[in-house]
This record gives sequence, structure tokens and C-alpha cells, in this order.
Amino acid sequence: MRIRPLAILALLMLVSCSPRARHAVPAGTVPDIFPDYVGVTVPATVAPLDFTLDGARALDVRVVAPDGTQFCSRGRQSTRFPAGRWARLLARSAGASLSVTVSGLYDGGWKSFEPFSIHVSADPIDYGLTFRMLEPGYEIYSRMGIYERELSSFRQRALLENTQFDGCLNCHSYNRGNPDSLSLHVRGSHGATLLKLGDDLRAYDTKTDSTLGFCVYPYWHPSGRYIAYATNSTRQSFHVRPDKLIEVFDLDSDMQIYDVEHNQLITAPQVKQADLWETFPAFSADGRTLYFTAASRVEIPAGLTGLRYNLMKVSFDPETGTIGQDVETVIDAASRMKSVAFPRPSYDGRFLIYTLSDYGTFPIWHHEADLWVLDLQTGESRPLDEVNSPDTDSYHAWSGNSRWIVFSSRRTDGLYTRLYIAHFDENGVAGKPFMLPQRNPRKYYDDLFFSYNVPEFVSGPVRLDRIRAQKLINAPERVKFGFRWSD
Amino acid sequence: MNRTQKIAGALMTVLSGAAVYSFFALRYPYHLHFQEQYQLFEFTWGYFSGVAGVPGGLADWAGRFLTQFCYYAPAGAAVTALVFCALQLLTWAACRQRTLPVYALSFLPSAILLVFLCDEHSLLGGPVALILALAASVLCRRVASARVRRVTEAVLVPALYMACGPLVVVFVLVRILDEGGRGGRIVALAAVLLAIAALCPPVAARLFPYPLGRLYLGVHYYRYHNILPGLLWISALGVVVTVLVSLSKGRILSGTLRGVLVFACVAGAGTFFTLRTADPVKEEWMRYDFMVRMQMWNRIMMAADRRNPDNPKTVSCLNLALSKTGRMPDHQFEYFQNGPEGLLPEFVGDCTNPVSTGEIYWHLGMVNTAQRFAFEAQEAIPDFQKSARFYQRLAQTNIVNGDTDVARKYLKALTHTAFYRKWARETLSLLDAGTVFEQRPELARARDLRLREHDFFFSGTEMDSMLGLLKVENPSNTMALDYLMAWCLLRKDLDRFVECIGLVEAPVMPKAYQEALLLRWVLTHSNFEGLPAYLSPDNALRINNFIVDMQAKSPEEEMRRKYGDTYWFYYYYRYRSSTQ
Repeated sequence: MRIRPLAILALLMLVSCSPRARHAVPAGTVPDIFPDYVGVTVPATVAPLDFTLDGARALDVRVVAPDGTQFCSRGRQSTRFPAGRWARLLARSAGASLSVTVSGLYDGGWKSFEPFSIHVSADPIDYGLTFRMLEPGYEIYSRMGIYERELSSFRQRALLENTQFDGCLNCHSYNRGNPDSLSLHVRGSHGATLLKLGDDLRAYDTKTDSTLGFCVYPYWHPSGRYIAYATNSTRQSFHVRPDKLIEVFDLDSDMQIYDVEHNQLITAPQVKQADLWETFPAFSADGRTLYFTAASRVEIPAGLTGLRYNLMKVSFDPETGTIGQDVETVIDAASRMKSVAFPRPSYDGRFLIYTLSDYGTFPIWHHEADLWVLDLQTGESRPLDEVNSPDTDSYHAWSGNSRWIVFSSRRTDGLYTRLYIAHFDENGVAGKPFMLPQRNPRKYYDDLFFSYNVPEFVSGPVRLDRIRAQKLINAPERVKFGFRWSD
Repeated sequence: MNRTQKIAGALMTVLSGAAVYSFFALRYPYHLHFQEQYQLFEFTWGYFSGVAGVPGGLADWAGRFLTQFCYYAPAGAAVTALVFCALQLLTWAACRQRTLPVYALSFLPSAILLVFLCDEHSLLGGPVALILALAASVLCRRVASARVRRVTEAVLVPALYMACGPLVVVFVLVRILDEGGRGGRIVALAAVLLAIAALCPPVAARLFPYPLGRLYLGVHYYRYHNILPGLLWISALGVVVTVLVSLSKGRILSGTLRGVLVFACVAGAGTFFTLRTADPVKEEWMRYDFMVRMQMWNRIMMAADRRNPDNPKTVSCLNLALSKTGRMPDHQFEYFQNGPEGLLPEFVGDCTNPVSTGEIYWHLGMVNTAQRFAFEAQEAIPDFQKSARFYQRLAQTNIVNGDTDVARKYLKALTHTAFYRKWARETLSLLDAGTVFEQRPELARARDLRLREHDFFFSGTEMDSMLGLLKVENPSNTMALDYLMAWCLLRKDLDRFVECIGLVEAPVMPKAYQEALLLRWVLTHSNFEGLPAYLSPDNALRINNFIVDMQAKSPEEEMRRKYGDTYWFYYYYRYRSSTQ
């Protein structure tokens, strides 16, 4: 038995892309690979899409570009596509497809599978992603952090981790992926909202006497002058039935807009109604409309399953910082016994993607949650079936050019959230999403006990001085937010 | 040292090691189990690189490696004794004067370390770091060339900082003392070594996500990062002081008798402070928790018969054992009860309280709650470690809930451990074969007992409703009934108790229930006329006597002696709820 790995390696050396592998028994199907990259659409600058072939003791892969350029990869557990050759192959294939042929070594010998395609889009994608990573837990948190991942490689680095202070790293948001405009909320005994504007980094106390609580769920105004926040009194309850675990809900919530120039929170009675819970704000691409979700107040916990949020909008004047008087319902989900969360308009102003679940404000714990897309020109709304799965598909963000979305999904095991990226064309049609690539992805994701959370595209590396941020968080001083009512 | 002194020294080491072993194996074994359950040591490169890749990480990894043997208390005790002896022998090896009193004095750091290890949150990474720093110092001493030695020392400081953390200062100080003892000029060396050591944390702060304070005082020496492991640092100081004292050339540190006296003093002080620091209350709770984990129900009963527990966490373990052995309805009030907290303790967000409470919910069939408690306890581990015990429970709850992909994640991690590997591999095989519920009866039991028809949110204030539903959905869940009735009784809610009594199907009304019903009868009737037949006349007579004695204002102690095994005594003399 000891010599088996060596023997397999030797065998692989001999047979990879060799006549023996080519003369393998045809399986007649496309391979069952993990992650499922069969037919996905990828940007031309994505890191190698390594994969494993479930059930096979070894695999042998040939990747061919439309111009005939090709390379082979073989491995015992996973492919290991050479990064340089992969990048060159993708660059040559932009706007076309790669053909991938896989052979696998099973107990009965080699099998060759039907080739499959990987579509390489000509639409560029942003530099990378940032996201929170933490265990998908209940109330108590262990180690967590905000991390940055370069999409053209496997490079990932921590921006900030809670080993540096006592607290929970929470919502983080950039202005259209601009890494120099960051809002980051920290909860706990050292709670603060960090605002990074260029090289300036400050810690704020966002709670004022006139507002409900701390500012969460940030969304930047395209001008960079305002940040819309919700303020929520959030609680959790725990189901006793096996198919459900956690319910996160608000006991109250309001909306407010922070004026960065004047250090003032602005709110208005129409987005701070006592019998309406408003949350998840997002500015439109032109910055003149504020989308958010709102639900009629219910008794908690008795009315929780009847708590349903609609998609709303209100006008906003960025010149004066005035919130419009008329709040309109954009999607009346409650009448369809559904609930909207996380509205995110595309930056080209054409579409809006949101999460739809049966009830509540936190679809991450709802297996039925799916992504839906709203055409802002026609007003039509449809499920984004191209990317949805039977399990939770939730938090999403747009790339800077609105041609890609990243979203979180629990489709692999029902609990651990993984990131998927999908192409989104100008007609509102999404390509098949691909899982965030990793070297030896089966092992990586099996060994990973963190969930990905709140993914955001960034156009370049985030230059956050970790030590300065740590000092700011650990220090007691906070800049207080001012407050004014909207005219 | 002459031959006699050498034998005496060896005897001191052997006897001390044996004493340390005996203390941990016989008097403090459950603290060892406690240590083990708050880590998940995996034999993988990823685990090693993750742990060892921070300042002090190698020592931390080695400490965790050793801690895993605490799964078996005798092995854990042996490891502790070895650590004790290793530190003593290395301290001795670092000393210049080779006399029996110095040898005896070399027990001082180990004795302090022993007191440190009595704290359940002390991590073995600290002692291992101390040993590594000292071992490096002793090895450095063997380098004959002064130039090579000094270069080695300078290079070793940052390397040891990475391996041992800030306890590298022991290496620095011992090297300075040793070089001084050789008669060399040490000012320049001391300045260089101390400067390098002092620079290590600020440099590390640029590379690793820890505050500077932790990088100066140790990242993984103690489970709580905001508590300074003072005794560990005093032990380190003890090493330096011992080496310093050994530089003295005076005659005071010579002679067999003086050696024995010094040893007696160190051993006496070590024993005194160890016994004073050892916490028998925590040890008792850890013992009960261990017995619950291992499902040693009869041993719990025996332990409670020897000494009646009174801590809510311990009492909750006893009540679980009473229910699991079918004795709760009859015998619960024969033991001290401290209210509903001693039946189902409220959730507390730390790494200890939810542990045994989660076990109760697991046995009750409240699988989601058991899962939450295990998960939360694990997340609350202050030094962010994971726990093999909790991984095991999370694998079980996920299997029962049908989330087998998640269960496999936990099981795969457990296959990389030394002591959970077999169970994890077997369970994975059973999952593959689809026979896990046939081969693992406790999983099948939990699957059958859990709620399927009703859904509600867990609420500590509506425990009776939850327990009632468990019983209604699964009539065979007698434990839910035990807990429902006990919950009502412990809260002194006799009206609710009477509402639920219809669920009891026992041929003979259990003793505690009879007593509760009799008490309610007495409270609502003027005499015993019409007393139901299932209430025994003997008990009726006894409650009558109880009332007479109580009205006569008999002292509580006498009441306890005569009626301490009854519900009435609990009702009138124990547990005052906030509403009463």
C-alpha cells in the first residue's frame, strides 16, 4: 500500500496527455467536477479554475483555446493549472470559449469525459473582492476578519481581524468598489464606524440622541459625499425544528443618510416611520433615488412569519441633501407573501438585484432565498434562475462596470456560504456562475470552517493601515455624528 | 556534587515528578479533561502552519500536542509531570554552581509553574515556551567559540521569539548571566540581545494581527488574552533568579543538609500554594461534566450520594443522571435542588456554561438547541481554538438533522486527530453505507425524539411548553415528561404541575408527584376527605406532621433532618424565585 502514491505519480508521468489517457473508455457524459465549472462564463483575468474530479483517483485535463493553443494538467486530487499559461490562454480566448477535456482514473481504469466549455467574456472584471469571513454561528463570534482576494490570483490577505481588538467586524462598503472610500462597522466593547476617505481614517460614534442606534448596512452615494445607513434594533431567535436554525429580525429600524462633508446624519419622518421598519438602503446610479426595504411593524415573535418587506424608493436631492416627501412602493412583495432584502442597483442604472424569501429581513438563514432581478426601465421583475440554486442564494454586489455580480450561496452543503461570480449582460441575462477559484478547491473548501460574508468588488488593493485602524478602534475617542432633519 | 548528593538530587526529581503525577492523576484529573476539550489538535500541515505561524506559535503547537493526551487523565498527568521535570532539569543545566542546594533551588521555577497549571485556563504553550527558551540557552552554552556563540545568540533571539514568544527574554537573560559567569564583557552583548528582543514585538506587530501588548506579553500562554499569566512570568523570573544565585561562589550554597533543607522549603511552598490554588468546586463540576459526557449515570448517582452537589451546573448534571436512570420522579428531592437553574441552566455566553446544559438538551431530543449550545460554547473559547468534543457533538446534531454534508466536514476534521479519529472514520463509513442510525442508537434516539410537527422559537421562559410538546409529539420521551414535571415543581408552579399531571402514565404515582399533589391538596382543602386513591395515606400522614411541625416553628435544620427528602421541604425552605 505504501507505494501506491508513488506508483500513481509515476503512472501519471507516463500517461498524462498520453495515448493511454486518450484511449480511455468514453464515459459519454461531461465530468462531475468540483466546483462545477462546466459551461461557466468567466472574465479573462480570473485565476486558474482548478477543480477536482469526484470519485477519481487521478485526473488528466487538456485545456484548448480557440486558436489551438493548449496545455495539460494532471493531478491526484486536483488540477494545478500553471498560472502564467492559464492567464495567456484566457487572454487569447476573450470573447470565445475554452474547451476542457477531462479523463479520470477509476478502479476500472481511465475514463474520458465529453469536453465542456468555459466561456471567456470580453467584459473586464474588477481587481478583487473583499469579504468578511467568520463561522456561520449564532450570537457569539470567534475569530473573524475582513479579507481581500485578488481575482487574477489566489492571493488573499487580511485587512483587519478581531485578534487586534475585542469586537465583531461587521458591515463594510466601498463607493462603487473604490478602495479609498470605505465604511466599516465594528461592534462590541470597542464599537465604532471606521471611515476611510483616501488616506484619512477616523473612528466615529454613529449613534445620536435623535436616532435609533448605530449606523449599519452602508451604501455610498455615487458622489462620495453621502452614505445611506440603516439603524436597526436586531435580535435573533432559534428554531427548534430541524429544517430551520436561526431567525434574525429587527424590533425596529429606520433609515438615515450621512453627510460626509458636514458630519451630519440626515433623516426624515417618511423614512423613520414608527409603524414601518425601513432598512437596506441603496442609492440609484444617478444618486437621485434612494431604494430601501420596508415592512409594517408586527408583534415579535408571534408575527414574525408574517413580517414581509417591500422594495420602496424615495427621491433624494444630493445638492441640498434633502429626502423627498413621497415614498413609493417599487415591488409589493408582501402581497405575494414574499419579502425583499438587499436591493442593489447596477451602477449603469439599468437593473436592480434583490433577494426574495418567504418572510423576514435576513434571508441568509432561509433556504428558499433566491436572487431576483428588476429591470428598472420596464419595471419587470424575474427570478435570476441562471444563478439560483435550491439552497440559499443571497447577498450580492455589482462590479464597477455592472457586467459581473458576486453573490453568496449555501448550495454546497446548506450551511457554509461560498462566493459565486456570474457574468451579467446588458440585456439582464446572467451566465452560469462560477465558484471563487482556489488551488485544490475540494480540500480548500472542505477544510474551511469560515463562511464568506458581505462580498464587495474593489477596483484595486485596499490600503488600510491595520495598525492605525487597530489603535483607533482600541482608543476610547470617537468622532460624534451630528444630526439634522431633512428639509 | 558527590555520589550521595547526585543520588539525592535524582531522588528529588523522581519524587517530585511522582508527586506531580499523583496530584493530577488522582486529585485533579478533571482539570486535565477540561483542558483537552477546548482544543482540536489536528495532525495536518495546515493546522501546524496556522498555529506555528505566529509569535510563540511553535511552543503553542507543541503545548497543544501535549494537551491532547489529557484525553486520558493519567497520560495528561504524566505529560504534566514531564513538563515539570524538564523545566527543573533545564534550570539545573543552566546553573553554573553544581551543588545540591542549587539543584534543590532549581525546583523553584517548576514549583511556581505547577501552581500556574492549576488554573484551568493556563495553556501548556507557556511552559513549553519556557522550556524551549531555556533549552536553547543550555545548548548555546555548549558552543565553545565565543564569537560563534555570540552570533548564534543574536540570531537565535528573533528565531526564538517566533518559536516561543516573549519568553525569549529568559533565553536572553540566562545567556547574559552565563556569559557574565564566564568572565566575559557582557555589557555590549546584553545591550545587543536586549535590543533585539525588545524590537521583536514591534516588528511582529507589522506582520501579525495582534496588538503590541499581546506581542510583548504572549499571545497563547493563557486562554484569556486580557489576563496576564503572572505565575508563568514569575516562574520565568524564578529561572533567571536561580541561574543568578548559582553564579554565587559562596559556601552557603553547598552541603547535603542545606540541599535537603532548600528542597524541603521549595517543595513545601510548592505544595502549599498548589493545594491552595487548586479549586475543588471547579474540579467537582468538571467531574460531573465529564461523567455526563461519558454517560456515567450510576457514577454520578454514587458521587452525589457521597456528597450532595449544590452548584446549579453540578445539580443539573445530577438531575440528568436521575432522569436517565428513571429515578427523577421518585428521588429528585432527596438531593439538594436549587430551583430551575439546577434543572436547565440558562444560557450563558461563555465556553463552560453551555457545555453540560447542551448535553441535557441533546438527551431531551432538542437537537437544534444542543447544536446551538455546542456551537456557542465553541465560539466562546477565548483563544479562538476549536474543540474536538464540540465537533463531535456538532457532527451528531447535523447527522440527526439530515445535514450530512456539514456533518462530514466536522467528521473529516476529527479524522486528523489522535483520539477521535476512530470514531470519526467509523461514522463516516456508516454515513457512506447509509446505516448510521442503525449502528449509532443514540443518533436514532435523538432523531426520533426531536420535534417535527411543531416549530417555535426557543424560549427559556416557556420551557414547560417546549417540554410538553416534546412529550406530546413523542409519547415515548419520558425524559421530557420528567423535566416538564420537575420544571413545574422547581418553579413551585403547582397549578401548571396539576395541568400536566395527566401526561403521567406511571402505574404508581411517583413519590415527588404525590408530595406535590398532597401539598396542593392541603393548600386548597381543609381536610383529607376525598383524597384520590393514588395518593398514599402514609404520605398524607407525613405532610400532616410536616404542617404541624412547621406551624410549631421547628428549626429549619430539624425540618431538614425529618423532611429533607420531600418536595414540601423544598417548597418552603429552598429556592426563592424572583417572583416570590
